[in-house]
Amino acid sequence: MQLVTSWPVRIIVLALLLGSIFVDGAAYWYRLANHYPLTGYVSDMPPHFGDWQLYIHRGLDIQGGTHMELQLKDPPAGRNLADVQAEEIAIIDRRINSLGVNEPLVAPLGNDRIVVELAGVPASKAQEVIGRTARLVTTTWTEDPNSKYDGPQGVTAGYKPAISSLSGDMITGSQAQLDANGVAWTVQVTFNSQGTDLFGKLTQAAVNACPGTGTDCPKRHIGEWLDLTPDDIAHWDDPGYAAQITQDIDHGGKLVTNPTILDPIPSGTAVISGNFSQSSAKDLATLLSSGALPASITILTSTDVSASLGADSIKKSFAAGLLGLAVVVLFMIAYYRLPGFLASVALIFYAGVVLALFKVVPVTLTLAGMAAFILSVGMAVDANVLIFERFKEEMRAGRTIGAAVDAAVRRAWPAIRDSNISTLMTSGILYVVSTSGPVKGFAFTLAIGVAISLISSIVVTNNLLAIVTAGGWARRQGLLGFSRG
Amino acid sequence: MAEALDRPTGAVTEETADTAVAARRPRRLDIVGRRNWFFAASLLIILPGIVSMVFQGFLLGIDFAGGTEFNLQFSAPLSQAQVESALNATDTPGTVQAGANGSFVIRTGYADPQHQKALMDSLGRHLNTTVTPLDVTTVGGTIAGETVVRAFVAILAASVLILGYLTFRFRRVQGGWRSGVQFGGSALLALLHDVAVLGGAFSILGKGVQLLGIPGQRLGEIDVLFMTAVLTVVGFSVHDTIVVFDRIRENMIVARSLTFEQVANLSIMQTAARSIITSFTVVLVLVALLIAGGDSLKGFVLALLIGIVSGTYSSVFNATPILVVWRRLAGASR
Repeated sequence: MQLVTSWPVRIIVLALLLGSIFVDGAAYWYRLANHYPLTGYVSDMPPHFGDWQLYIHRGLDIQGGTHMELQLKDPPAGRNLADVQAEEIAIIDRRINSLGVNEPLVAPLGNDRIVVELAGVPASKAQEVIGRTARLVTTTWTEDPNSKYDGPQGVTAGYKPAISSLSGDMITGSQAQLDANGVAWTVQVTFNSQGTDLFGKLTQAAVNACPGTGTDCPKRHIGEWLDLTPDDIAHWDDPGYAAQITQDIDHGGKLVTNPTILDPIPSGTAVISGNFSQSSAKDLATLLSSGALPASITILTSTDVSASLGADSIKKSFAAGLLGLAVVVLFMIAYYRLPGFLASVALIFYAGVVLALFKVVPVTLTLAGMAAFILSVGMAVDANVLIFERFKEEMRAGRTIGAAVDAAVRRAWPAIRDSNISTLMTSGILYVVSTSGPVKGFAFTLAIGVAISLISSIVVTNNLLAIVTAGGWARRQGLLGFSRG
Repeated sequence: MAEALDRPTGAVTEETADTAVAARRPRRLDIVGRRNWFFAASLLIILPGIVSMVFQGFLLGIDFAGGTEFNLQFSAPLSQAQVESALNATDTPGTVQAGANGSFVIRTGYADPQHQKALMDSLGRHLNTTVTPLDVTTVGGTIAGETVVRAFVAILAASVLILGYLTFRFRRVQGGWRSGVQFGGSALLALLHDVAVLGGAFSILGKGVQLLGIPGQRLGEIDVLFMTAVLTVVGFSVHDTIVVFDRIRENMIVARSLTFEQVANLSIMQTAARSIITSFTVVLVLVALLIAGGDSLKGFVLALLIGIVSGTYSSVFNATPILVVWRRLAGASR
């Protein structure tokens, strides 16, 4: 196994080490120097690579939150199930946007299920939001001397919205389209006959409002809102509340648009213009026309872990893991002396590389994943024990140190290879067969751990051993942990 | 086992080839020769477990049983009877069990999150305390059934793959593919031994805890993580077995003057130190996790601990003796 101590292999391993140190360390230094939080996702932190950031992704069992699997029920007849699923996902995605969760997950599972993961959101809240129907609420403006909020889009102090009888379920369809100039995205909404009638009257009333004051006055506006409730209007006199409500929907508000009505609209078709991008116009159109999800959903499973329980578990388990590893290191040094010490140094390399991989891939860290990490340390130690035991035998057989190291690695290799492959196979099966997040995390972590532990225990340890034993001081039998005879 | 550790093991090299000498020394520990004792010991451990699995079954975790499990912390100290009567007052059929640190585990039928919240609120009103959910899990019946199927598929697939891989790896041993099957099959039997030990232990533990009514402990529950532990143990057990078998393969070439039984025993002796040391280091870490780690991992860690100890035993004392018996029955020359 001269290959192990050859320069190309050494250079690759060194590069791996340096890369890992950069990934492990640089992100912390960067965050420290720029006064960002040291852990977790930071929105708007430069530099941007899409939404990609280097940090340890914590699983729901650690940071707390809700995991749900939803089953689609009664899909509309004649429609492709995958399309219904995709539309369903788009709608749910849109609905949970308002929660402001970091990295929400809404993903397909099979072709008739959906997984939802929301950090820090209790399950009951998640269910409420997912099941929410977006309703278009149309308001006129009435005088209110206590209203103090002067906002954008013609929202004026002294007036508050009044919910009209034109409601969201009078919408028969809505779609995103470019305006007449082909420049700006708009959403076109079509009403049924009752809606057409109501909308015509509302617009007529708006046009007729405040005559003789020019083309614009507060009452000439008609507000279109998502899910505006009477309760919201009851709080209108609180300027902070009104300001929040009149934010656009991407910023947690409810106001879609509040245009000046220039002419009555009897056609039953309203065009909503705002600062839409193509995707936000589509989203709104989906929300409005879906009103309800295309297929109803039932909750197959839900897991809701409180943040305090997760924090407590990770703290305890982390401490216990460190304690266990410390004992292993002490044992290795006591039993194998110098080689044991070098194996422990290699373990640090191992931990650094695995941590870096966790950040880069990224692997979501779960409690079970931490157990897998600790177990794979056991495997890293195992490969070393195999080699060291062999090394002792070869030394007793009268070989020189260099030859003994070489023979030990070569002869221990088949057993190390086969046993690690068997573990990779079982973790592969776990990953493929299981649908449970923690189990997948465990399997993936174990596989990464096994792969890296091979490098650490064979390449790193033996290079260290070769380098150290090149000096005469390390060649004493006591240091190498064996006695001839 | 201190004997085995202290005993100088023969160096196996092409040049010195003193393995033959080592094997002919008066044996202090003839594992292959006394194999029936070790088989008997294994049976002694497995049989009660199998009886328990057949007649009592398992304490099923929520993943397999289906329904809703609440792990609740109350602001006031409460007795189990108080919580039970409050649950009765809400007209929700279910069971109450005391958990760690004054928390309670309540199991009911399937309840979606909105109903969960309603139940927790109403419990709080009846008990006049605030209720803090630590974790709440709901599993629908269909999912529970699927999970059981997946668990069996996983273990079956792992067994088949490992058998196939070992057969392939050991096909060059004297005797060809037939020997490969013997090596792979023996490893598989040792592995099933470990699965049986682990399953039996958890059946006894789970049902025993239930029978004795020990409060604050929910060890012995079969959940998704238990299945994960089983597969991990399978991987580890094969790990240990492969190390012995690999040594047998090597010794069969090096020590041509020995019978297969002698080669097998020699190989066990040469690898025993490694097997025990490796398991010892893993056991150290797991014991630390079991004692000081988070509660939610304890069942998982205990399963790993039992499985890994059993895996080491079966690799040293079962796998190779089974291989010896198998080869003798099959009439292999060595």
